[in-house]
Parts: sequence; C-alpha cells; structure tokens
Amino acid sequence: MPPLLVCPACDLVHRGDTDVSAAEIGRASCARCRAVLRRSPHARIDTALAVALSALVLFLLANAYPLVEFQVNGTSRATNLAGAALGLYHAGHLALGLLVLLTTVVAPLAQILGLLYLLIPLRRKRRARRQSAVFRAVLQLRHWTFIEVFMLGAVVALVRLSAFAKVVPGIALVCCGLLMMCLAALTSLTSAEQFWDWVARSRR
Amino acid sequence: MSSVVTGRELGLLKCLRCHCAVRALQVPRPRCPRCHAHLHMRKPHSLAVTAVLLSLAALLYIPANLLPVMYTRTVLDNERDTIMSGVLELLQSGSWPIAVLVFVASIVVPLLKILALAIILYSAWRPSGRHRRQRSELFRLVEFIGRWSMLDIYAISLLVTLVQVQSFATVDVGWGAVAFGAVVVLTIAAAHTFDERLLWDEQP
Repeated sequence: MPPLLVCPACDLVHRGDTDVSAAEIGRASCARCRAVLRRSPHARIDTALAVALSALVLFLLANAYPLVEFQVNGTSRATNLAGAALGLYHAGHLALGLLVLLTTVVAPLAQILGLLYLLIPLRRKRRARRQSAVFRAVLQLRHWTFIEVFMLGAVVALVRLSAFAKVVPGIALVCCGLLMMCLAALTSLTSAEQFWDWVARSRR
Repeated sequence: MSSVVTGRELGLLKCLRCHCAVRALQVPRPRCPRCHAHLHMRKPHSLAVTAVLLSLAALLYIPANLLPVMYTRTVLDNERDTIMSGVLELLQSGSWPIAVLVFVASIVVPLLKILALAIILYSAWRPSGRHRRQRSELFRLVEFIGRWSMLDIYAISLLVTLVQVQSFATVDVGWGAVAFGAVVVLTIAAAHTFDERLLWDEQP
C-alpha cells in the first residue's frame, strides 16, 4: 500500500508516492487548501542541540543583565526579562504578571530545557523517560512563546520613555534579539516530523 | 488528484501533534501510536467551545478599549491612558511609525481577529461550499497574527516596572489592560479549539 498523507487542515487524502512529488524537498502542501502537508526531515540532531544550547545561554544572559535602564533626576532603575512580570505583580496585577511570566520566561525556558532533555539522550541512541509526553508539552509551549512580540514591546516602551527621561538599552536586549532568532530556528529544526524521524533512526 | 477522498471516508485519523495518519479502530479513546496524543476525527465540540471563547473575547473587547490601561502620575499632572489615547500621544510626540505599529497591533488586529473568527465560525456552521480556500487561509492568518496583540501588554509591563521613581513619577496598570490581556488569550484559545477541517466537510 502506498503511504497516504492526510491534510491536517482539510482532511484531503494524498497518495505519498504520486500526488506529492518527491522533488518537493522541505515541505509539501495540500492540493486543495494549500496547507503544509509534510515537512521532510532534513536537519541533523547536532545542529538542533547546538541551537538549543545557544538559546539556553542567551536566555540566562537576558535574565542576568539589565534589559533597559531608565535614568531620571540622578537616580536610575533597570529591569531584566523576568523583572517585567514581577513589576506587574508588584503593581497588583497577578493575572497579568503570570501571563507575561508564562509567555516570556516559563514557556521559552521550559521549551529549551525540554528539548535538551530529549535530544541529549537521543544523540546517543537512547530515549529519555516519558519522551512522548515531554515532546507534546514542548509543542504546546511553542504556541505560548512570545519573545519576538516582547522585543517589539520593549522598543515601544523605550520610545515612550525617551520622551521624558534618558533610557539606555541594555546588553540583555541584544541577547533577547538573538534568543528570538535561536527560538525561531529551533522551532523549524525540531518539527514533530523531524523529531519522530530522529527517534525512528535511533532504533536501528 | 481526480476524485476527492477525505481521511474520514477512508477511516483515517490524523494526529494533529505529530502529523501521522492512523487507521481508526473501534476503541473507546484512540491514541496516536507514535506520540500518544489523543486522536479525534474532529476536535471535540469544536464549534461550541470556539463560539463561547469568541463571544467572551468580543464582550471583553469593549472594556479593553474603554477602560484606562495605564495611569501616569507625575509632579505636574495625572494622566489616564486608554489604548487609543496612548496611540494619539505617540503620534503627537512625533514617533508615528511606533504609533502606527501600536494602533495596528492593539486595535486593528484584535478587532479583525474577532470578526474573522466570527465569519469562519459561521461558515463552518452553515457550510456553503464557496470561498473555502479563502476562509481556510484567513483562519491561518488569524492563527499567525494572534500573538502580536500582546505588544501593548509588554510595553506596559516594562513601563510599570521602570517608572517607579518616588515623588517624581509613577505608572500604574488599569483594568483595561487586564481585559485586553484576556481578549488576546481568549482569541488565541478560540483559534486553537477551532477545527479547520469543519470548513471543508461535506454536509450529509
């Protein structure tokens, strides 16, 4: 039986050998609704591990150094990545603070750590405990990682503040920008198809 | 492909997590053999859940725009900013690219998202067979831009954290921001719970 590909967006069935040409390296899309049918696995596990480790280092730097410094009347205040969520909490808005904490700190960090937990054993042809549950959680966390939006929000805040005080962009802002790129690369390197392809290969 | 065959007709279940197709067996709660995610022919109660989340979002969109999102207290004056007045202030201070950015991300995008989801929901409820691909592509656009509305929340979180200079200026968060955050989360959740395949299903 030829492999069947079912479109996740419109349920149309494609025959993997004839309907989807083998020349479509990278991604194949649905004939009816143009959704992505399949992303062909092509990345190496070492690449993904390297990007995940860089993302971890950048995440730590973004939290260790000030993101923005604000100077007025000789006093100055600075904040880091997690500080923004804490600021909302101190202003009495716990729910909003939790939302910011989840989308800028917890989700990115848990996603990076989860992938490292899965990929390090996989590289040695071993499998991490509760592999499928952890990977499903990683996929879920991806939907709630909004670092790139936070970056733009920081720019908006800088412009607003610069009207009445001196603001200095910190080193962590650069780290945040690089972290954003690393996370985007990590998402495309470790698609579900790719991850389960690595798992299948490690069995041989 | 000459004839249109869907996964449902062939009895194939699509795993939306790892993108493999599984032959539907007569078991009570089928799970994906590869990643152990729960499998459904269509997402359960998709239309009802999406409709509830969307109505809540539409309801909260009103206080999100009418209530102040931010209070600024300086020695000179007290200011209460709604989302719109924040945009106007940015426009007056001369940074119109940022003003346009905030206007699009905080006012246009949430409104369009709610309207687009309402249209999509209606066409899934009463399928007409026309404009299906446009509806599908509109849905994917909604999914993609959803996160960018968080922009203003992040800007406010940074302002609140930074501007706490005793006796000079303080910034407080208003309930408008909480309502706005809820709108963003609810619309993202509504897009998650909607099953795109309902747009394509033929009515019996």
